[in-house]
Amino acid sequence: MNPPFPTTGGLRWSYAINCWKPGFMGFARVEEHERAFKTMSAAGFGAVELKAGSGRWDTLGRPENIVASYGSLENFRDTIGSWGMAAVSSVFLDPFQMSFEDLHFGLDPLNESQRSMLTDTAVLHSRALATLGGDWLVVRPVASFSKQGALSRDQLLRLGEAWTAIGKGTRTHGIGIALHVDALSALRSIEDLEVVLEALDPAVGGLALDTAELTMAGHDVAAFYEHFHDRIVHCHFKDALAVDELDEYRLPNAERALVQSGGSRGIRRWFAEMGTSQGHVDFERLARAMVRHHYRGWVVVESDGGPSPVAAGVMSNGWYVRQRLLPVLAPIT
Amino acid sequence: MSVTVAERNLRYAYMDHWRVDTDQGPLSQYTSVERFDAFLRQISAVGFEAIETFDFHLGVLKELFGSLEAARAFMRERGIDKVLSLFHAVMYDERASAPHVRATHDRMFGYARFIMESGKGLGVENFIVMPAGLYFDVEPVTDDKIRACAELWSRIGKMTLEEYGVRTCCHHEFFCGIRSEEELTKFYEWSDPRYVFFYCDTAQHTIAGVDPVGLYERLHDRCGGFHLKDTHHVDTTGDYRRRPDAEIMAPTTPRWFWEMGTPGGLVDFKALYAAMKRHGYKGWVAVEHDKADIGGSNYPESTAVAAWYIREVLDRVYA
Repeated sequence: MNPPFPTTGGLRWSYAINCWKPGFMGFARVEEHERAFKTMSAAGFGAVELKAGSGRWDTLGRPENIVASYGSLENFRDTIGSWGMAAVSSVFLDPFQMSFEDLHFGLDPLNESQRSMLTDTAVLHSRALATLGGDWLVVRPVASFSKQGALSRDQLLRLGEAWTAIGKGTRTHGIGIALHVDALSALRSIEDLEVVLEALDPAVGGLALDTAELTMAGHDVAAFYEHFHDRIVHCHFKDALAVDELDEYRLPNAERALVQSGGSRGIRRWFAEMGTSQGHVDFERLARAMVRHHYRGWVVVESDGGPSPVAAGVMSNGWYVRQRLLPVLAPIT
Repeated sequence: MSVTVAERNLRYAYMDHWRVDTDQGPLSQYTSVERFDAFLRQISAVGFEAIETFDFHLGVLKELFGSLEAARAFMRERGIDKVLSLFHAVMYDERASAPHVRATHDRMFGYARFIMESGKGLGVENFIVMPAGLYFDVEPVTDDKIRACAELWSRIGKMTLEEYGVRTCCHHEFFCGIRSEEELTKFYEWSDPRYVFFYCDTAQHTIAGVDPVGLYERLHDRCGGFHLKDTHHVDTTGDYRRRPDAEIMAPTTPRWFWEMGTPGGLVDFKALYAAMKRHGYKGWVAVEHDKADIGGSNYPESTAVAAWYIREVLDRVYA
């Protein structure tokens, strides 16, 4: 059987947990976690990116929920280690998600009055992530365009400053902030991001490059990487099957209207595992750019937004990494 | 523990029970090149290097790829070296094909040769057969009927090995006419050890109340390979002779077969691997999960969990 991909050294491989739990219910029991982690491990992935959540059903979504199911964070770390997960690379946090525990309907970093609670949330997850041996809190940095609208230069600078302030809190636990720009984000352009990064202290973090989300938003991800390579601290690899060519990220409730319902073109599926014949992302070109710039850090592979069974996407991605990407990335692995 | 390829005694094949969820409902992976490609990638991803398939897929492979040579080349590009074994899918019938009925032997021999001819180009090493009909079709299982089965497979095994380089391997389903310790002992005693090999399906023997480890110990010098799968049930109520189908319609359980490493599994795989190590078994081992999707599970996940079990548990015993 195949050994796991590297989880230490230069470029390290991880897998996102999000594909296993698309909603509140399901994937709550420890035995379900066990099968998922073993599946990821067998496919070559020896680390995991968790996803912050809310509610007692999201048993991996908050530190206290993990403790409720596993006894302690240390025991969780050791238990998933025995299932093949040598590390927890990162935690994805969407601050705009409501919280049953903290009694809010989403926290906006541009809203000064919510800054303190958002910092507390970020620190809560960072403290746990540090115990689990991870590195990055991957965050949705700003609301969707359809909710936020276009950002002024002042707002972009304030956004960078806000995440710098929050990142100083997470850095006290050794955890950095990776700003994850998705296809619906109010951060649309290279210029927008340059302004945010101008105000984001490199000591607290940088950008997360998500190949599928950025491709869906119209970016060339290899060119994107070339442009921002010295500020990219984290990567999400999945493929995109379509590009939002009609700018329907502007639609009200674009998450449902565009991503989940397919927009006016009725796109049935936006995201896919790597290596299909229909994918838009040129991963090998991106990988060569990463080698040129000596990328160091995690590459978290994802298969959220794909069909069941989840394991099929994980295994297909494992094949693509082993057969196609590892040979290219060998110099920095 | 990490074992390099050069050090390995064992390589792994996957017996390809599988289904793909599609917009057209659940379909076979043989319904398109794209689905077959995805299947190959998924099993290659976790470390399998060959597949086993039913012989009725030969025609489909030719239709998908133009020739079996082209099919094998496609597989190799994805890390799957060959079709290690063809499972002979015959609905035994006393009028035309029943190993315990000598009058049907010529026809069965001819059909086996037809499969050998049809399967050229895939790298096949094993021809896997159920050596007797369904128990309720064979019973009472007499010595003469077992001898008839032994004669047939010795004759076919000589042909497949000497003319095609393929070993005929006998795979005893729990509902097969040759299933008990006594029946198995007689069959292997009366069949030609040069031409008739034993294929050890760990779950089938366990369900039949036969310890697969002990059986392997006794027949190790006849062993042509393994189907590693687990079960949570021993047949204690005579399901093996229940019509119309013991495997799918038994009242005892809707799901006889499980991947390795599930709670409640009855097969002692570590003991089997210790025995394989003792006897110096070298070569292919196959993993099989027939009906893994019963009860809401799915083939990819079952396969990954089994691969994990091999790498993390069995490799430590013998690899």
